Amino acid sequence: MPQDSLINDLIQALRCLPGVGPKSAQRMAFHLLERNRAGGRALAQALTAAMDNIHHCASCRSLSESELCRLCADPRRDRGLLCVVETPADVLAVDRATDYKGLYFVLMGHLSPLDGIGPNEIGLDKLAARFDSGGITEVILATNPTVEGEATAHYISELARARGIRPTRIAHGVPLGGELEYVDSGTLSHAFSGRRDI
Amino acid sequence: MSVARVSLQPAFVLHHRPYRDTSALLEIFTPEFGRIGLVARGLRSAKSRLQGVVQPFCPLLVSWSGRGELATLTGCEPSGMLTRLDGARVLSGFYLNELLLRLLHRHDPHPALFECYAQTLHLLQQPDMEQRALRIFEKHLLREMGYALMLDHEAESGVPIEPAEMYSYHLERGPLTCAAGAYAGIRIQGHSLLALLNETLHDAASLREAKLLMRAALGLYLGNKPLRSRELYIDFRKSRALSPSPSSSPVLENAL
Repeated sequence: MPQDSLINDLIQALRCLPGVGPKSAQRMAFHLLERNRAGGRALAQALTAAMDNIHHCASCRSLSESELCRLCADPRRDRGLLCVVETPADVLAVDRATDYKGLYFVLMGHLSPLDGIGPNEIGLDKLAARFDSGGITEVILATNPTVEGEATAHYISELARARGIRPTRIAHGVPLGGELEYVDSGTLSHAFSGRRDI
Repeated sequence: MSVARVSLQPAFVLHHRPYRDTSALLEIFTPEFGRIGLVARGLRSAKSRLQGVVQPFCPLLVSWSGRGELATLTGCEPSGMLTRLDGARVLSGFYLNELLLRLLHRHDPHPALFECYAQTLHLLQQPDMEQRALRIFEKHLLREMGYALMLDHEAESGVPIEPAEMYSYHLERGPLTCAAGAYAGIRIQGHSLLALLNETLHDAASLREAKLLMRAALGLYLGNKPLRSRELYIDFRKSRALSPSPSSSPVLENAL
Protein backbone atom coordinates (compact mmCIF):
# COMPACT_ATOMS: atom_id res chain seq x y z
CA MET A 1 0.00 0.00 0.00
CA PRO A 2 1.57 3.29 -1.05
CA GLN A 3 1.56 5.65 1.92
CA ASP A 4 2.08 9.33 2.38
CA SER A 5 5.59 10.16 3.36
CA LEU A 6 4.53 11.65 6.72
CA ILE A 7 2.93 8.38 7.76
CA ASN A 8 5.94 6.49 6.53
CA ASP A 9 8.27 8.78 8.46
CA LEU A 10 6.25 8.21 11.62
CA ILE A 11 6.34 4.43 11.17
CA GLN A 12 10.08 4.50 10.54
CA ALA A 13 10.63 6.74 13.58
CA LEU A 14 8.66 4.45 15.89
CA ARG A 15 10.87 1.53 14.88
CA CYS A 16 13.77 3.00 16.85
CA LEU A 17 12.09 1.68 20.00
CA PRO A 18 13.32 -1.69 21.28
CA GLY A 19 11.15 -4.64 20.26
CA VAL A 20 9.16 -2.63 17.71
CA GLY A 21 9.17 -4.08 14.22
CA PRO A 22 7.45 -2.77 11.07
CA LYS A 23 4.08 -4.28 11.96
CA SER A 24 3.89 -2.91 15.52
CA ALA A 25 5.19 0.45 14.35
CA GLN A 26 2.40 0.65 11.81
CA ARG A 27 -0.18 -0.30 14.42
CA MET A 28 1.10 2.38 16.80
CA ALA A 29 1.13 5.02 14.08
CA PHE A 30 -2.47 4.29 13.00
CA HIS A 31 -3.64 4.14 16.59
CA LEU A 32 -2.23 7.58 17.32
CA LEU A 33 -3.58 9.08 14.10
CA GLU A 34 -7.05 7.58 14.24
CA ARG A 35 -7.87 7.34 17.91
CA ASN A 36 -5.55 9.37 20.05
CA ARG A 37 -4.20 12.52 18.47
CA ALA A 38 -4.03 14.29 21.84
CA GLY A 39 -1.94 11.44 23.26
CA GLY A 40 0.33 11.60 20.22
CA ARG A 41 0.89 15.33 20.69
CA ALA A 42 1.61 14.85 24.39
CA LEU A 43 4.08 12.09 23.51
CA ALA A 44 5.81 14.31 20.97
CA GLN A 45 6.13 17.14 23.47
CA ALA A 46 7.37 14.86 26.24
CA LEU A 47 9.92 13.33 23.89
CA THR A 48 11.21 16.69 22.70
CA ALA A 49 11.45 18.07 26.23
CA ALA A 50 13.20 14.96 27.52
CA MET A 51 15.65 14.74 24.62
CA ASP A 52 16.58 18.40 24.97
CA ASN A 53 16.83 18.64 28.73
CA ILE A 54 17.98 15.32 30.13
CA HIS A 55 21.71 14.70 30.33
CA HIS A 56 24.14 12.94 32.62
CA CYS A 57 24.48 14.05 36.24
CA ALA A 58 27.84 15.72 36.76
CA SER A 59 28.47 13.73 39.89
CA CYS A 60 27.11 10.20 39.38
CA ARG A 61 26.71 9.99 35.56
CA SER A 62 23.10 8.89 35.96
CA LEU A 63 20.37 10.59 33.91
CA SER A 64 19.20 13.92 35.24
CA GLU A 65 17.58 17.12 34.08
CA SER A 66 19.53 19.37 36.40
CA GLU A 67 23.29 19.67 36.83
CA LEU A 68 23.15 17.29 39.82
CA CYS A 69 20.54 14.55 39.98
CA ARG A 70 17.95 14.41 42.77
CA LEU A 71 19.93 11.80 44.73
CA CYS A 72 23.28 13.57 44.49
CA ALA A 73 21.75 16.91 45.47
CA ASP A 74 19.92 15.51 48.52
CA PRO A 75 21.72 16.85 51.62
CA ARG A 76 20.36 14.04 53.84
CA ARG A 77 22.30 11.31 52.06
CA ASP A 78 25.53 9.93 53.53
CA ARG A 79 28.43 11.29 51.48
CA GLY A 80 30.87 8.75 52.91
CA LEU A 81 29.23 5.85 51.06
CA LEU A 82 29.36 5.33 47.32
CA CYS A 83 27.56 2.53 45.52
CA VAL A 84 28.83 1.71 42.02
CA VAL A 85 26.26 0.23 39.59
CA GLU A 86 26.15 -0.45 35.86
CA THR A 87 22.94 1.29 34.75
CA PRO A 88 20.45 3.95 35.92
CA ALA A 89 17.88 1.14 36.27
CA ASP A 90 20.18 -0.47 38.87
CA VAL A 91 20.07 2.76 40.91
CA LEU A 92 16.28 2.53 41.06
CA ALA A 93 16.44 -1.18 41.92
CA VAL A 94 18.87 -0.65 44.80
CA ASP A 95 17.02 2.42 46.01
CA ARG A 96 13.67 0.63 46.08
CA ALA A 97 14.92 -2.60 47.62
CA THR A 98 17.32 -1.41 50.31
CA ASP A 99 17.56 1.29 52.96
CA TYR A 100 20.85 2.44 51.48
CA LYS A 101 21.33 6.12 52.21
CA GLY A 102 24.58 6.87 50.45
CA LEU A 103 25.33 8.15 46.95
CA TYR A 104 25.64 6.33 43.63
CA PHE A 105 27.98 6.20 40.69
CA VAL A 106 26.64 4.85 37.41
CA LEU A 107 29.13 3.31 34.99
CA MET A 108 26.70 3.03 32.04
CA GLY A 109 28.21 -0.35 31.20
CA HIS A 110 31.03 -2.61 32.30
CA LEU A 111 34.60 -3.32 31.25
CA SER A 112 34.52 -5.43 28.13
CA PRO A 113 37.85 -5.44 26.34
CA LEU A 114 36.56 -7.57 23.47
CA ASP A 115 33.99 -4.88 22.65
CA GLY A 116 36.60 -2.17 23.03
CA ILE A 117 35.14 -0.86 26.29
CA GLY A 118 37.98 0.13 28.59
CA PRO A 119 38.20 2.04 31.89
CA ASN A 120 37.73 5.49 30.35
CA GLU A 121 34.63 4.48 28.38
CA ILE A 122 32.83 3.68 31.65
CA GLY A 123 34.05 6.80 33.41
CA LEU A 124 36.59 5.23 35.75
CA ASP A 125 38.82 8.29 35.32
CA LYS A 126 35.95 10.35 36.74
CA LEU A 127 35.42 7.84 39.53
CA ALA A 128 39.10 7.97 40.45
CA ALA A 129 38.91 11.76 40.55
CA ARG A 130 35.92 11.47 42.86
CA PHE A 131 37.86 9.11 45.14
CA ASP A 132 40.71 11.63 45.17
CA SER A 133 38.43 14.48 46.16
CA GLY A 134 38.08 12.79 49.55
CA GLY A 135 35.26 12.17 52.00
CA ILE A 136 34.44 8.64 50.80
CA THR A 137 35.10 5.87 53.31
CA GLU A 138 33.48 2.88 51.66
CA VAL A 139 32.70 2.00 48.05
CA ILE A 140 30.05 -0.67 47.51
CA LEU A 141 30.54 -2.54 44.24
CA ALA A 142 27.12 -3.53 42.92
CA THR A 143 28.06 -4.44 39.35
CA ASN A 144 26.34 -7.48 37.84
CA PRO A 145 27.63 -10.93 38.83
CA THR A 146 28.86 -11.68 35.30
CA VAL A 147 32.48 -12.25 34.30
CA GLU A 148 32.68 -8.67 32.99
CA GLY A 149 30.94 -7.26 36.04
CA GLU A 150 33.37 -9.06 38.32
CA ALA A 151 36.34 -7.78 36.33
CA THR A 152 34.93 -4.26 36.62
CA ALA A 153 34.41 -4.62 40.37
CA HIS A 154 37.94 -5.89 40.78
CA TYR A 155 39.39 -3.02 38.79
CA ILE A 156 37.50 -0.45 40.88
CA SER A 157 38.45 -2.18 44.12
CA GLU A 158 42.12 -1.63 43.23
CA LEU A 159 41.46 2.05 42.50
CA ALA A 160 39.78 2.39 45.89
CA ARG A 161 42.39 0.44 47.80
CA ALA A 162 45.17 2.58 46.32
CA ARG A 163 43.46 5.58 47.94
CA GLY A 164 42.78 3.99 51.30
CA ILE A 165 39.05 3.54 50.66
CA ARG A 166 37.40 0.32 51.80
CA PRO A 167 35.94 -1.59 48.81
CA THR A 168 33.07 -4.02 49.47
CA ARG A 169 31.24 -6.31 47.05
CA ILE A 170 27.56 -7.18 47.29
CA ALA A 171 26.94 -10.83 48.23
CA HIS A 172 25.85 -13.41 45.68
CA GLY A 173 23.65 -16.31 46.59
CA VAL A 174 20.54 -18.36 46.36
CA PRO A 175 17.42 -16.30 45.58
CA LEU A 176 14.91 -15.96 48.43
CA GLY A 177 12.22 -18.58 48.15
CA GLY A 178 14.39 -20.59 45.74
CA GLU A 179 15.11 -24.28 45.91
CA LEU A 180 18.71 -25.43 45.97
CA GLU A 181 18.03 -28.21 43.49
CA TYR A 182 17.10 -25.72 40.79
CA VAL A 183 19.78 -23.14 41.45
CA ASP A 184 22.57 -23.15 38.84
CA SER A 185 25.88 -24.59 40.00
CA GLY A 186 27.79 -21.31 39.70
CA THR A 187 25.42 -19.47 42.02
CA LEU A 188 25.34 -22.36 44.45
CA SER A 189 29.12 -22.65 44.67
CA HIS A 190 29.35 -18.87 45.18
CA ALA A 191 26.74 -19.04 47.91
CA PHE A 192 28.52 -21.96 49.53
CA SER A 193 31.95 -20.36 49.58
CA GLY A 194 30.40 -17.13 50.85
CA ARG A 195 28.63 -18.81 53.81
CA ARG A 196 28.66 -17.06 57.16
CA ASP A 197 28.05 -17.68 60.85
CA ILE A 198 24.53 -17.47 62.18
CA MET B 1 19.52 -28.10 2.64
CA SER B 2 19.00 -30.08 5.79
CA VAL B 3 19.35 -28.40 9.13
CA ALA B 4 22.38 -29.56 11.07
CA ARG B 5 21.72 -30.53 14.65
CA VAL B 6 24.56 -30.85 17.07
CA SER B 7 23.94 -32.00 20.58
CA LEU B 8 26.00 -31.68 23.74
CA GLN B 9 29.20 -30.56 22.16
CA PRO B 10 31.90 -29.47 24.66
CA ALA B 11 32.37 -25.73 24.36
CA PHE B 12 33.57 -22.49 25.92
CA VAL B 13 31.91 -19.14 25.42
CA LEU B 14 34.48 -16.72 24.00
CA HIS B 15 32.27 -13.70 23.76
CA HIS B 16 28.65 -12.72 24.18
CA ARG B 17 26.80 -9.55 23.41
CA PRO B 18 23.20 -8.49 23.72
CA TYR B 19 21.00 -8.89 20.68
CA ARG B 20 17.48 -7.52 20.32
CA ASP B 21 15.39 -7.30 23.48
CA THR B 22 16.17 -10.47 25.32
CA SER B 23 18.50 -12.48 23.07
CA ALA B 24 22.25 -12.66 22.82
CA LEU B 25 24.84 -13.43 20.18
CA LEU B 26 27.49 -15.89 21.32
CA GLU B 27 30.85 -16.85 19.92
CA ILE B 28 31.74 -20.28 21.20
CA PHE B 29 34.80 -22.48 20.76
CA THR B 30 34.29 -26.21 20.27
CA PRO B 31 36.67 -29.08 19.51
CA GLU B 32 34.87 -30.54 16.48
CA PHE B 33 33.42 -27.42 14.87
CA GLY B 34 35.96 -24.78 15.83
CA ARG B 35 34.71 -21.29 16.53
CA ILE B 36 31.04 -20.78 15.75
CA GLY B 37 28.47 -18.04 16.15
CA LEU B 38 25.15 -18.76 17.84
CA VAL B 39 21.97 -16.83 18.54
CA ALA B 40 20.70 -17.53 22.03
CA ARG B 41 17.04 -16.59 21.91
CA GLY B 42 15.54 -15.30 25.11
CA LEU B 43 18.81 -15.74 26.98
CA ARG B 44 18.51 -12.40 28.73
CA SER B 45 14.82 -12.63 29.56
CA ALA B 46 13.73 -12.77 33.18
CA LYS B 47 12.59 -16.36 32.82
CA SER B 48 15.84 -17.63 31.32
CA ARG B 49 17.59 -20.23 33.46
CA LEU B 50 20.65 -20.28 31.23
CA GLN B 51 21.86 -16.78 31.90
CA GLY B 52 24.09 -17.80 34.78
CA VAL B 53 25.40 -20.78 32.84
CA VAL B 54 26.38 -19.11 29.58
CA GLN B 55 29.44 -17.29 30.87
CA PRO B 56 32.98 -17.18 29.54
CA PHE B 57 35.58 -19.61 30.96
CA CYS B 58 33.01 -22.18 32.11
CA PRO B 59 33.21 -25.63 30.51
CA LEU B 60 29.82 -26.25 28.87
CA LEU B 61 27.96 -28.81 26.81
CA VAL B 62 26.18 -26.93 24.07
CA SER B 63 23.51 -28.01 21.58
CA TRP B 64 22.50 -26.05 18.52
CA SER B 65 20.76 -26.36 15.20
CA GLY B 66 21.10 -24.59 11.90
CA ARG B 67 23.68 -23.97 9.24
CA GLY B 68 25.41 -20.92 7.94
CA GLU B 69 27.02 -18.08 9.83
CA LEU B 70 24.67 -18.08 12.81
CA ALA B 71 23.08 -21.20 14.24
CA THR B 72 20.52 -21.24 17.05
CA LEU B 73 21.33 -22.34 20.57
CA THR B 74 18.99 -25.12 21.62
CA GLY B 75 20.51 -26.22 24.89
CA CYS B 76 23.36 -25.61 27.24
CA GLU B 77 24.49 -27.17 30.47
CA PRO B 78 27.59 -26.86 32.62
CA SER B 79 30.11 -29.68 32.39
CA GLY B 80 32.58 -30.46 35.10
CA MET B 81 33.93 -28.10 37.69
CA LEU B 82 33.35 -24.41 37.42
CA THR B 83 36.42 -22.45 36.37
CA ARG B 84 36.72 -19.45 38.61
CA LEU B 85 39.24 -16.88 37.45
CA ASP B 86 39.60 -14.20 40.08
CA GLY B 87 39.44 -10.52 39.17
CA ALA B 88 42.96 -10.10 37.86
CA ARG B 89 43.33 -13.44 36.10
CA VAL B 90 40.11 -12.81 34.24
CA LEU B 91 42.07 -10.28 32.21
CA SER B 92 44.40 -13.05 31.02
CA GLY B 93 41.30 -15.05 30.15
CA PHE B 94 39.96 -12.16 28.07
CA TYR B 95 43.33 -12.08 26.34
CA LEU B 96 43.04 -15.77 25.36
CA ASN B 97 39.55 -15.17 24.05
CA GLU B 98 40.55 -12.11 22.10
CA LEU B 99 43.39 -14.05 20.44
CA LEU B 100 41.00 -16.83 19.42
CA LEU B 101 38.44 -14.36 18.10
CA ARG B 102 41.01 -12.44 16.11
CA LEU B 103 43.08 -15.31 14.77
CA LEU B 104 40.79 -18.30 14.18
CA HIS B 105 38.28 -18.53 11.36
CA ARG B 106 34.77 -19.73 12.05
CA HIS B 107 34.04 -23.41 11.36
CA ASP B 108 37.70 -24.34 11.38
CA PRO B 109 38.14 -27.20 13.88
CA HIS B 110 41.18 -27.31 16.16
CA PRO B 111 40.62 -30.15 18.65
CA ALA B 112 44.17 -30.00 20.02
CA LEU B 113 43.88 -26.26 20.61
CA PHE B 114 40.57 -26.74 22.42
CA GLU B 115 42.31 -29.16 24.77
CA CYS B 116 45.12 -26.65 25.25
CA TYR B 117 42.66 -23.81 25.95
CA ALA B 118 40.92 -25.83 28.67
CA GLN B 119 44.30 -26.73 30.17
CA THR B 120 45.40 -23.08 30.09
CA LEU B 121 42.28 -21.93 31.94
CA HIS B 122 42.98 -24.59 34.52
CA LEU B 123 46.59 -23.43 34.93
CA LEU B 124 45.52 -19.80 35.21
CA GLN B 125 43.70 -20.64 38.42
CA GLN B 126 46.93 -21.78 40.03
CA PRO B 127 49.44 -19.41 41.57
CA ASP B 128 52.59 -18.46 39.63
CA MET B 129 51.55 -20.20 36.44
CA GLU B 130 50.11 -17.27 34.56
CA GLN B 131 53.05 -16.37 32.32
CA ARG B 132 54.03 -19.92 31.53
CA ALA B 133 50.47 -20.92 30.73
CA LEU B 134 50.01 -17.97 28.38
CA ARG B 135 53.27 -18.58 26.50
CA ILE B 136 52.52 -22.26 26.00
CA PHE B 137 49.05 -21.42 24.75
CA GLU B 138 50.45 -18.87 22.31
CA LYS B 139 52.94 -21.43 21.00
CA HIS B 140 50.17 -23.98 20.37
CA LEU B 141 47.96 -21.34 18.81
CA LEU B 142 50.66 -20.41 16.28
CA ARG B 143 51.25 -24.06 15.46
CA GLU B 144 47.54 -24.69 14.93
CA MET B 145 47.34 -21.70 12.64
CA GLY B 146 50.12 -23.25 10.58
CA TYR B 147 52.83 -20.80 11.64
CA ALA B 148 54.74 -22.93 14.16
CA LEU B 149 57.90 -21.29 15.45
CA MET B 150 61.16 -23.08 14.78
CA LEU B 151 62.63 -23.65 18.22
CA ASP B 152 64.88 -26.70 18.01
CA HIS B 153 67.57 -25.86 15.49
CA GLU B 154 69.38 -22.96 13.89
CA ALA B 155 67.63 -21.86 10.68
CA GLU B 156 70.71 -21.47 8.47
CA SER B 157 72.86 -24.46 9.37
CA GLY B 158 70.32 -26.85 10.90
CA VAL B 159 72.55 -27.27 13.98
CA PRO B 160 70.59 -28.01 17.18
CA ILE B 161 70.08 -25.02 19.49
CA GLU B 162 72.83 -24.58 22.11
CA PRO B 163 71.49 -23.46 25.50
CA ALA B 164 74.39 -21.11 26.19
CA GLU B 165 74.41 -19.45 22.76
CA MET B 166 72.67 -16.13 22.02
CA TYR B 167 70.39 -16.16 18.97
CA SER B 168 68.61 -13.57 16.99
CA TYR B 169 65.15 -14.69 15.93
CA HIS B 170 63.91 -13.70 12.49
CA LEU B 171 60.20 -14.34 12.32
CA GLU B 172 60.10 -15.49 8.70
CA ARG B 173 63.20 -17.67 9.00
CA GLY B 174 63.82 -18.81 12.57
CA PRO B 175 66.67 -18.48 15.05
CA LEU B 176 70.05 -17.46 13.60
CA THR B 177 73.29 -17.33 15.50
CA CYS B 178 74.05 -13.76 16.30
CA ALA B 179 76.94 -13.65 13.82
CA ALA B 180 74.80 -14.79 10.88
CA GLY B 181 71.78 -12.76 11.93
CA ALA B 182 73.87 -9.62 12.29
CA TYR B 183 71.89 -8.63 15.42
CA ALA B 184 68.66 -7.79 13.63
CA GLY B 185 65.58 -9.63 14.85
CA ILE B 186 64.65 -10.55 18.41
CA ARG B 187 67.54 -11.50 20.68
CA ILE B 188 66.89 -14.66 22.62
CA GLN B 189 69.08 -17.07 24.57
CA GLY B 190 69.27 -20.71 23.34
CA HIS B 191 68.16 -21.74 26.80
CA SER B 192 64.92 -19.79 26.43
CA LEU B 193 64.18 -21.28 22.99
CA LEU B 194 64.59 -24.78 24.41
CA ALA B 195 62.52 -23.92 27.47
CA LEU B 196 59.70 -22.76 25.21
CA LEU B 197 60.07 -25.90 23.08
CA ASN B 198 59.92 -28.22 26.09
CA GLU B 199 57.37 -26.05 27.93
CA THR B 200 59.65 -25.72 30.94
CA LEU B 201 59.69 -21.94 31.26
CA HIS B 202 60.71 -21.45 34.87
CA ASP B 203 63.17 -18.58 35.20
CA ALA B 204 62.40 -14.90 34.77
CA ALA B 205 64.84 -14.42 31.86
CA SER B 206 63.29 -17.17 29.71
CA LEU B 207 59.82 -15.91 30.48
CA ARG B 208 60.72 -12.37 29.50
CA GLU B 209 62.45 -13.41 26.27
CA ALA B 210 59.66 -15.81 25.34
CA LYS B 211 57.11 -13.06 25.93
CA LEU B 212 58.88 -10.67 23.55
CA LEU B 213 59.27 -13.38 20.91
CA MET B 214 55.61 -14.37 21.11
CA ARG B 215 54.42 -10.78 21.06
CA ALA B 216 56.35 -10.18 17.84
CA ALA B 217 55.26 -13.47 16.25
CA LEU B 218 51.57 -12.93 17.04
CA GLY B 219 51.89 -9.31 15.96
CA LEU B 220 52.59 -10.50 12.41
CA TYR B 221 49.12 -12.02 12.18
CA LEU B 222 47.17 -9.63 14.39
CA GLY B 223 47.81 -6.61 12.19
CA ASN B 224 47.83 -3.03 13.41
CA LYS B 225 44.77 -3.08 15.63
CA PRO B 226 45.97 -3.34 19.25
CA LEU B 227 44.69 -6.08 21.54
CA ARG B 228 42.23 -4.35 23.86
CA SER B 229 42.57 -6.97 26.58
CA ARG B 230 46.31 -6.37 26.65
CA GLU B 231 45.80 -2.62 27.01
CA LEU B 232 43.40 -3.22 29.88
CA TYR B 233 45.86 -5.60 31.52
CA ILE B 234 48.64 -3.02 31.40
CA ASP B 235 46.29 -0.32 32.69
CA PHE B 236 45.29 -2.54 35.55
CA ARG B 237 48.88 -3.32 36.50
CA LYS B 238 49.58 0.41 36.64
CA SER B 239 46.67 1.16 38.95
CA ARG B 240 47.63 -1.85 41.04
CA ALA B 241 51.19 -0.62 41.41
CA LEU B 242 49.89 2.55 43.09
CA SER B 243 48.19 0.56 45.82
CA PRO B 244 49.91 0.88 49.21
CA SER B 245 48.17 -2.14 50.75
CA PRO B 246 48.36 -5.12 48.41
CA SER B 247 45.08 -6.99 48.04
CA SER B 248 44.59 -10.62 48.92
CA SER B 249 44.42 -11.78 45.32
CA PRO B 250 47.57 -13.13 43.65
CA VAL B 251 50.30 -10.87 42.31
CA LEU B 252 49.74 -9.80 38.76
CA GLU B 253 52.80 -10.76 36.79
CA ASN B 254 53.98 -8.68 33.91
CA ALA B 255 52.57 -11.36 31.66
CA LEU B 256 51.33 -9.56 28.55
